[in-house]
Amino acid sequence: MPFIDFTDFFVYYFPFFILDFSIASSFCELEEVIGIFPELFLGLSIFFLFLHCLLISSSGEKNYPLMQSAIVNIASYMLFLTLVLACNFSFSLKSSLFNNTIILDMLSVYSKQYLLVVSIVLIFLVKPYLKYQQINSFEYLLLVLFSIFGLILLCSSNDLITAYLCIEIQSLAFYLLAAYKKNSAFSTEAGLKYFILGSFSSSMFLFGSSIVYGITGTTNFEDLKDLFFYIFDEGFMTINFHILHNISYTDVLNVGLSFIFISLLFKLALAPFHVWSPDVYESSLTSSTVFFAVLPKLSLFVFFIRFFQFNFTGILESWKFYFIFIALISIFVGSFVGLEIRKIKTLLAYSSVSHMGYVVLAFSAFSCESVQSMISYLLIYMFTNVCVWCIFLILKLKKNNFKKSNMDLSDFSSLNKSNLTLSVFFSIALFSLAGFPPLIGFYVKVKVFAIIVEETQYLAAVFAILCSVISTFYYIRIIKVLFFENNLAGNLYFPLTYFYSFIVAFCFFFLVFLFASPNLFYLSCYRMCF
Amino acid sequence: MLHYKIALFFSISLIFSSFFTILINNPIYSILFLILSFVSATGILILLESEFMAFIFIVIYIGAIAVLFLFVVMLLNIKIVDSIKDVLKYFPISNFIGFFILLEILIFFINYFKFNPYFESFLFNVHINWLDKIDSVSDIQSIGQIIYTYYVLQFLIAGFILLISILGAVILTLSYNKVNLKKQDSFKQTSR
Repeated sequence: MPFIDFTDFFVYYFPFFILDFSIASSFCELEEVIGIFPELFLGLSIFFLFLHCLLISSSGEKNYPLMQSAIVNIASYMLFLTLVLACNFSFSLKSSLFNNTIILDMLSVYSKQYLLVVSIVLIFLVKPYLKYQQINSFEYLLLVLFSIFGLILLCSSNDLITAYLCIEIQSLAFYLLAAYKKNSAFSTEAGLKYFILGSFSSSMFLFGSSIVYGITGTTNFEDLKDLFFYIFDEGFMTINFHILHNISYTDVLNVGLSFIFISLLFKLALAPFHVWSPDVYESSLTSSTVFFAVLPKLSLFVFFIRFFQFNFTGILESWKFYFIFIALISIFVGSFVGLEIRKIKTLLAYSSVSHMGYVVLAFSAFSCESVQSMISYLLIYMFTNVCVWCIFLILKLKKNNFKKSNMDLSDFSSLNKSNLTLSVFFSIALFSLAGFPPLIGFYVKVKVFAIIVEETQYLAAVFAILCSVISTFYYIRIIKVLFFENNLAGNLYFPLTYFYSFIVAFCFFFLVFLFASPNLFYLSCYRMCF
Repeated sequence: MLHYKIALFFSISLIFSSFFTILINNPIYSILFLILSFVSATGILILLESEFMAFIFIVIYIGAIAVLFLFVVMLLNIKIVDSIKDVLKYFPISNFIGFFILLEILIFFINYFKFNPYFESFLFNVHINWLDKIDSVSDIQSIGQIIYTYYVLQFLIAGFILLISILGAVILTLSYNKVNLKKQDSFKQTSR
């Protein structure tokens, strides 16, 4: 059969060709290639998966098979092998590769591992949803894999060019995931909205980094670290523009940094720039929304820490007010606007806005403790959100309109009558998201407040705590709908399969376990900030 | 002196073609003149030895944007309007704005570019960068050397981005729905 030979050729000979190329080039040492082995493996195997799917699914001899469930298995296996490669790193403390554009330290390696674990769970999670929505084309999971590739490379990027390219890979894949369902007007609208705002913020990133390059003459973080280790005297270095008299370098640098900051705020959906996120979350496919909500936050924040805290230590102190301002605004918006919302996906979008606000609030202390608390908050946010979205994805109402999957609050009413265990799990996960005392969500939130109080930002701490109390209302309202709704006819749900109930139970017990002994988790978070 | 003459030729061609881009009635001719103006700008850039910008002009402005304009004009069926009549109507305001922009540019030039007083006299001498003459690496060559060595990883990632964009174009336009498919009807097209 001709096409099998063709595949064999690509699968067996092509990787050797590429590896030969990268080793033979004198600028990439073998050690450097080993350093990016997880990314290299994931990227190459995405290509081969792409070729494989293209050849198999378009072959008439095999009667044009659908490959969705096969690809789910292959993709999760690929991610598992990437995880093994990411765990198997043997660098002593810190090493930067490819002329310092890629860095391997604890922060990048651990965040890569966490991202890969969560993405394996998510890929398994979206499988029944895709089957249900009849999304049969194989490109969907390829795009997911591309976005994961961009995200794990972003974790270790140590250069503005590399970071821009990684953000671009991730966001291009996400635009397509949002617009994937072409026959739905909502999905195309979400894709267009995401595309326009995302490319706008990317162009702001480019503009800001060009200003940074113009002032410092470098885009590399190692050089920026050396340049801005000390606090600059404002009048020390000035540029003489002809019209604008004597601006100091740091002023122009601040303009560039603020452009990059605003573009990152767009990407992270923080408060004044969050408007796209509820619309996009609500109208795109739920399987895409899971990825938008859970995955990109961690690696974008890793880049955020790397860029702002590690590089511009000297001039960051004057930025403290803006960080706290952004954090408080997003906490405020996330807690108050969420009170009005009745759709679950939009509600979770607003909740994510307020959570990202807490993370930025922790960042505004600029200390090692604050990085640790940011990372632990983000990881707990990811785990809890996996649990919540998991329950949200696998609950299917028995309705006439069987493709409808966007749920209101009322769709959960009296879930405890039909499935008590699931409703208990759901309410525990929501309590953890809200930050209720006997759960891990409480620990990490208290850490954030403690850091802010330690920084003597009492007003900000009081404001954030009050908003946190208010935001608890909408989490508890869901629980009230789950347990105490008096209606005559409850909803009927399709039964859960064994595998997905296992995933839900695992997520739930993981949250409970983290409450019981968070030491190992905290240890890994501490290791990440050095 | 040949260098100056070629630059003069390209500049005059640039000015004329940009004039005709505005003045001509037929939008298709106007876009063709736009392309001509880009080509002459490319010529000037090559004379200035910034080849990379010149090729970017060709690839992006002509290859992508002007062709896009051409497609839009062809698809939208824009009527030919007599734009000469409107010229008199908009003459005062456009001249007013244009005059000030010209003034700004002239002030900039007078401040920053000093005219050599010995030009075309006995004392005129030319600075020759001998190092550049002996071991000259052109603009594109140096960019290529850096991209393929220092930034090889970034180059590969850019390839990934191109792959995703091609994939996305196919995903968003390919339709498996066989019912309302628009097909080319050759008989209808030839008999039009």
